[in-house]
Amino acid sequence: MRRRTTMGLMGRLAAVVFALVLAGAGAARAEPQQGGTLNSTLWPEPPGIVIGIHLNAPTLLPSSKIFEGLLTYDFALSPQPMLAESWEVSEDGLTYTFKLRQGVKWHDGEDFNAEDVVYSLTKFIPEVHPRSRPTFARTKVTAPDDHTVVLTLEEPYGPLIRSFDVIGAPIVPEHVYNGSDIRENPANRAPIGTGPFKFSEWASGEYIHLVRNDAYWLDGRPYLDEIYYRFIPDSASRALALETDQVHLATQNDIELVDVARLAAMPHLEMTTKGWEWGAPISWLEMNLRREPFNDVRFRKAVMHALNREFIRDSIFFGLAAIPTGPIHSSSPFYTDDVPTYEYDPEKAKALLDEMGLEAGADGVRAKIGLLGLPYGELWDRLSQYIRQALGEVGVEVTIETSDVAGWGSRISNWDVDMSTTYLTTLSDPALGVARSYITENQRKGVLFTNTSGYSNPEVDRLFAEAASEPNEDKRRELYHQVQKIVADEVALAWLVELQWPTIHSAKLKNVVRNGLGPNDNFAEAYFEE
Amino acid sequence: MPQLGFVLQWVVKALAVVLAITILNFFLIRLAPGDPAVVMAGEAGAADQQFLDQVRRDFGLDQPLAVQLATYVKNVLTLDLGQSFRTGRPVADMIFERLPATLLLTGTAYVFALIVGPLLGAIAAMRPRSVFDSLLMVVALVFYATPIFWVGLLLILVFSVQLGWLPPFGMQSMIPVKGALASTLDVIRHLILPAVTLGLFYIAVYVRLTRASMLETATLDYVKTARAKGLPEWRVATAHILRTALIPIITFAGLQAGHLVGGAIVVETVFAWPGIGRLAFDALFQRDYNLLLGVFLISALMVVFFNMVTDIVLRIADPRIAGRA
Amino acid sequence: MEFLKRFAENRGAVAGAIALALIVVMAITAPLIVPIDPMSTRGRPLLPPGGEFAFGTDMLGRDVLAGIVHGARISLMIGLISTVIAAAIGVSVGAVAGFFGGWIDDLLVRITEFFQTIPSFIFAILLVAIMTPGLTSIVTAIAVVTWPPIARLARSEFLGLRRREFVEAAVLSGVSRFRIIVSEVLPNAVSPLIVMGSLMIATAILTESALSFLGLGDPNRISWGYMIGAARTVFRQAWWLSVFPGLAIAITVLAINLVGEGLNDALNPHLKGRVRIQT
Repeated sequence: MRRRTTMGLMGRLAAVVFALVLAGAGAARAEPQQGGTLNSTLWPEPPGIVIGIHLNAPTLLPSSKIFEGLLTYDFALSPQPMLAESWEVSEDGLTYTFKLRQGVKWHDGEDFNAEDVVYSLTKFIPEVHPRSRPTFARTKVTAPDDHTVVLTLEEPYGPLIRSFDVIGAPIVPEHVYNGSDIRENPANRAPIGTGPFKFSEWASGEYIHLVRNDAYWLDGRPYLDEIYYRFIPDSASRALALETDQVHLATQNDIELVDVARLAAMPHLEMTTKGWEWGAPISWLEMNLRREPFNDVRFRKAVMHALNREFIRDSIFFGLAAIPTGPIHSSSPFYTDDVPTYEYDPEKAKALLDEMGLEAGADGVRAKIGLLGLPYGELWDRLSQYIRQALGEVGVEVTIETSDVAGWGSRISNWDVDMSTTYLTTLSDPALGVARSYITENQRKGVLFTNTSGYSNPEVDRLFAEAASEPNEDKRRELYHQVQKIVADEVALAWLVELQWPTIHSAKLKNVVRNGLGPNDNFAEAYFEE
Repeated sequence: MPQLGFVLQWVVKALAVVLAITILNFFLIRLAPGDPAVVMAGEAGAADQQFLDQVRRDFGLDQPLAVQLATYVKNVLTLDLGQSFRTGRPVADMIFERLPATLLLTGTAYVFALIVGPLLGAIAAMRPRSVFDSLLMVVALVFYATPIFWVGLLLILVFSVQLGWLPPFGMQSMIPVKGALASTLDVIRHLILPAVTLGLFYIAVYVRLTRASMLETATLDYVKTARAKGLPEWRVATAHILRTALIPIITFAGLQAGHLVGGAIVVETVFAWPGIGRLAFDALFQRDYNLLLGVFLISALMVVFFNMVTDIVLRIADPRIAGRA
Repeated sequence: MEFLKRFAENRGAVAGAIALALIVVMAITAPLIVPIDPMSTRGRPLLPPGGEFAFGTDMLGRDVLAGIVHGARISLMIGLISTVIAAAIGVSVGAVAGFFGGWIDDLLVRITEFFQTIPSFIFAILLVAIMTPGLTSIVTAIAVVTWPPIARLARSEFLGLRRREFVEAAVLSGVSRFRIIVSEVLPNAVSPLIVMGSLMIATAILTESALSFLGLGDPNRISWGYMIGAARTVFRQAWWLSVFPGLAIAITVLAINLVGEGLNDALNPHLKGRVRIQT
């Protein structure tokens, strides 16, 4: 099978029309209008605004307007053209050929060409981008001509096709970075990209200001004149700023979840939970399988039955969450719900604990364990409180341990914990964002976001490995379905909720969330309706 | 030159204190569990060994502790407070960016309290056990006893949420208003609630202190003599009692001034005021060692500085102290 | 019974003493008055006051009234224990400095001054965070930042008493220094220390509430400051979550202050009306 995607001018036009239809009735009727200033919240103030050098959430939002990737991804995470106009993947899955868009200019006026792509994938990313470094370490990148880039692999790597978005593989200007110390390059404070918006100013403690790129490669885009990302340190003031129309856009955890419904109901605001498909965050309760009683699967199943995840979804996450069935997010093309599930049933939990021989003592306590809560604020504190309460009801006495972010990270990564809560983005492909938490090989003491629970199953290892190097999507899907069944049956982690980050924006602002990158899209199509 | 000696003595003392604080904090923070490299990895959403090593190398965290301390102290002496672990920016810059906001807030509250507090206290002291006195003392005691963050929340609830008169958070409108006058007014509107919150606590302290101090002075012999000589009561109150009674107030005000930076931390949190207290709190939770050390150093410097100012003011206000030194 | 009579003359002090007694009784008998776990879900989240729950429920459906009653234990306990520790440190340092004088005095005064230079609230936050939030760390942190004023007061009292005849006599007759400090000097210095200590309990309760408000409280125990801090983000929707615990703190601290002042007037009649305020 040979896949081929090309998009000429007509295709682009069709895509725009399609996007407008998708964006809703209002947008479809009105012609997009030029002009306007978009004010968005951004918090905390990012440490830098070059994607790759920094990967913090607040770095991504402004940086994704300045830089672009070869591809972008729709809600189903299918690849869409960006700096690459078309691409081909060879049948054996070992060769990827990208045809680059012509007439693209860097913000400093230089031409964009294949050298920039080769530099970004072979020098920039391996040097600074911790998340994509292993992906591109597998590839050899060449440029047969100025507008063609070829990636070759030793063996097929399934997730590669989902690794070319601006976050996973930002394309940076070779003429600016080559030969310099990338981290110390002055352009990091005034970045030069190809995106629809150019960097203008960073007023420390106040805002990042982006302005329209008049020489953008897509004619007539962007519609907006400028974007201000304003640093507003308090969630209540961010809510107030949206209410009073002082800012037009807030996303992720900018707004306390308790406040979202109230804001969403306001006539001048709209809310969507789409647009985080690339990140697909899942929150879970992690049990240290190296310790008793967590090494007994019956205990882990009892925990699942003891937790009322509907209550967690409704009362802690205020409905902005879904109940996961296993390790893979339900928005992923590899997801299946055909797995063992665990309904809320404290009696069943008690029965399982009885079966283990964990009888309740005179004080009603069967076991005493510690819980290290994610120190990201009040919402997560409440989650810990709930878990303590719910497990207490089946006779498991939980002591909540608190810590700051540093202590939390050290203890989890050094396996010095009973149970902990966390959430992690599972990313665009299970091989990138899911496998890391389950495969035996990734038990790396001292390193966060690895397989810290100590889960180990050779069959799961084999399935993950096979799925990663399988070029055929259908076969991969089948393999991941098997993984999900096993891992869910063994309760490798106690999955609590899929987070649904809200994006709240002014009703007049159109085309905000158009694809799987949502607010991290480049906003070339966003506009204000009169 | 006794004055020169005095200044020299102060400089030596100040340096010793600053050095001691620097060393103390350096060790305290490093005793904490948690590795700053891991925090940064968390922030960056990725953590391979290469990244961790890179961070440790960049910030000298791979050096022996003694070397790190020596480097830090040497840098501090050359007024280089290092770089923030999290943002990579110079710590001094970050602190000085935030310092004006804190000084504006605490300074306003402080000056306001220093004027209103002693005035009310003095009026109360002139008519002890009157209705005004009793009422004032009860109110002062209530504010002295009420958690400051709670007062702040109640003020927001009443004046921002219910009445909508004043903005509840921040230092200026999200979209800066144009024009010098308009933007000054904008800041003032934002300043009122946090400054009043902080000010009410200080006022309560000064009212009680002034009243107590004046009542005590009023029983002293020379005041009785002045009264016996037939001087009008207001002359006695201002020229004789107040002057002496001011001494403990000045002493206390001096102590307070030095603690303004730290004292505002709760109020800055409640009102999302972009000051240094808030910066310190965030720095602590992100284990941003250098930034935190910088904030501590600046706070300690302020305490030392204001202690000196207090001493000088006291020498002017009370010649007996100068004679003793 | 001169003391009791003087204390009873002060109406504020009597009111404070009654209020304080009620709060203490409430704290001690909390498991009897409200025999439920204040950390457990009792009803629907965010029910307003009235009806089944007099003070409403919080975001997890916990009974706010139960939180107030049980929270009294934590506040009082932390106030009391941290003050006792601070007083122990302060009195020891002050006594040794004041009694022995010389270079020991110099050294201890320097150390005390040094601790007073450190911005105390930031220092407390730092200590709690380093020791990880919990009862022990909060008590330790409050004690560490509050002992210097006690040390100074104790030193000045001891300095004065050291030269008194009965002390000199004891020294000459060969009684051990420790015995003299404990049995001769301390009883004479105790009344101003008691007054200061009682006021410091109030300050300690306020400090604990501020730490808990900032999220540095003990997560396994309910406390008033924690309740306010946890409700901060919803205080527009649910005023009762912050108002009731705030009132509880204010009333308790007020009562202790009134009692402290009453003690001051009764124990030190010559200092009547004079307030000692810590910084």
